[in-house]
Amino acid sequence: MMACHFLRALFRIQQTSTSSSSSGRSRRIRRAAYASMAYSAGTRRAWSRALLRKLRSRARLRFPRRLSRAATPQRRDMDQAQVLRKLVPGGPSMDDCKLLEETADYIRCLTTQVRLMQTVMDSISS
Amino acid sequence: MEPRGSSGVGSGNSGTYTPEIAKSLRFEEEIQSLIDPSFDASSAAGGSFTALLGLPANQAVELLHHPGPGEPPASAASSSPTAGDLWRLRLGEHHAATDTLRLPFGCSSTFEERAARFSVFATDDSPASSSGGGLSPGLKAEPPDSDSQPTLPAPVGKPRRPSKRKECEKSKAKAVAKKSKSAEENTSAAKPAAEENTSGDKLPYVHVRARRGQATDSHSLAERARREKINARMKLLQELVPGCSKITGTALVLDEIINHVQSLQRQVEVRHLPHHYHHSLSLNNFLSMKLAAVNPRIDFSGLDHILSAECGPLAVDSGCGGGASDPTMWASDTAASTGGIRRMPAPPQIWHLDLVHPQQSSTVWENNGAAHPHFLLSTATSLVGYDPASSVILNSNQLKTEL
Repeated sequence: MMACHFLRALFRIQQTSTSSSSSGRSRRIRRAAYASMAYSAGTRRAWSRALLRKLRSRARLRFPRRLSRAATPQRRDMDQAQVLRKLVPGGPSMDDCKLLEETADYIRCLTTQVRLMQTVMDSISS
Repeated sequence: MEPRGSSGVGSGNSGTYTPEIAKSLRFEEEIQSLIDPSFDASSAAGGSFTALLGLPANQAVELLHHPGPGEPPASAASSSPTAGDLWRLRLGEHHAATDTLRLPFGCSSTFEERAARFSVFATDDSPASSSGGGLSPGLKAEPPDSDSQPTLPAPVGKPRRPSKRKECEKSKAKAVAKKSKSAEENTSAAKPAAEENTSGDKLPYVHVRARRGQATDSHSLAERARREKINARMKLLQELVPGCSKITGTALVLDEIINHVQSLQRQVEVRHLPHHYHHSLSLNNFLSMKLAAVNPRIDFSGLDHILSAECGPLAVDSGCGGGASDPTMWASDTAASTGGIRRMPAPPQIWHLDLVHPQQSSTVWENNGAAHPHFLLSTATSLVGYDPASSVILNSNQLKTEL
């Protein structure tokens, strides 16, 4: 199901922008990837709901890329939950238990999405 | 009365609401005085009362006027994306607030435990209640509203509820931060303590958890339940993340998880650039071939169709009929490059079948993820060379025999 949505989004992107800037296109493709993830997860998951909210509000999808490593283990423990909250959409408003659950689902979905994109790319390039 | 005057000045349309505001303010002060001697953290709640007056007057007024329906949260959500979360937080601590008022203001530790428990339950409840309702946070407001009403003492009625909500609003953010931190510390510190407790009964480690032998100790029971939940989830995560099962210790496991999530997100980003690159490449190549610009479109439509045909048999057994009808439809459309539009009726039909079995969705993912490499590669090679229609029919038949 995710695949259908993603491919249709890719199709649309290709149709609308044949010669646009590469960064704009990649941004749109990335947005389509997250959208297809969120749609496939539906509203059952807190992270997908947060993701859909972000997409609908048309805000720029900002993803934390750089991780500032904490030095001491004690600080690292407390920071980890925060770091995880920043990574997983909808994170800040979850308690630890829910956070772990959502992280598991998010990882599963991300893995499927990455695999999907990989296979699409392979099939195109071959 | 000063509050009435100030609030009257603050918002022009609050003329009719000022008596309510005054009443609620008086209640606020009462609550403040009640809570203050018992609990330290809730003095932050008292202090936050002044912070609440800094709230946009509209929101406060709206809260007072419309405690039930979801309009204020909806408007709040539209203004700021985190307001929805705030609203949920408000609800969460709304439960905590009702419980605090009813507690015999005894030891503060019990209060903290109960508040933590109820906040957990509240946040657990809200997604469950809202899963049917969709995205609107207003719906989350309603079930806790109806929930809390029987618990509240009757004569107090409405003005008290929104006042409590107002009061605890800012404190919840702080309290959650505090509690999450303390919970983190507790869970990380308690794990070695827990193991020691299970191994030996008498320990020099004098703590509430040392009494865990008795099942009647509610704190440790709740804590133990929470810890076990968290441990179970951590185990799941360990299985998901490759190479994590060998690592012992929550900190390292969490580190690995964080790294994994970051790498996945980075992969999603990076995969786009080669995507774009290959797009232009494929276009150039196919221009030299006879398929020209039509080919990329057929690529996608073919892939899309293949995947939808695959989704059909995977999702529902009776969906084979739907899958069988697709190739015929596609065959008729093959000449037309508008196949993408014609196929719209088919995939939604398959989606309906998919939605009927939500439990299978996770398995569909795995199946999709595992099956893709084989199917797509075979279809891709066939699409390039042969007549698309026959190849598609062949491949869909192949799919069915393989499945």
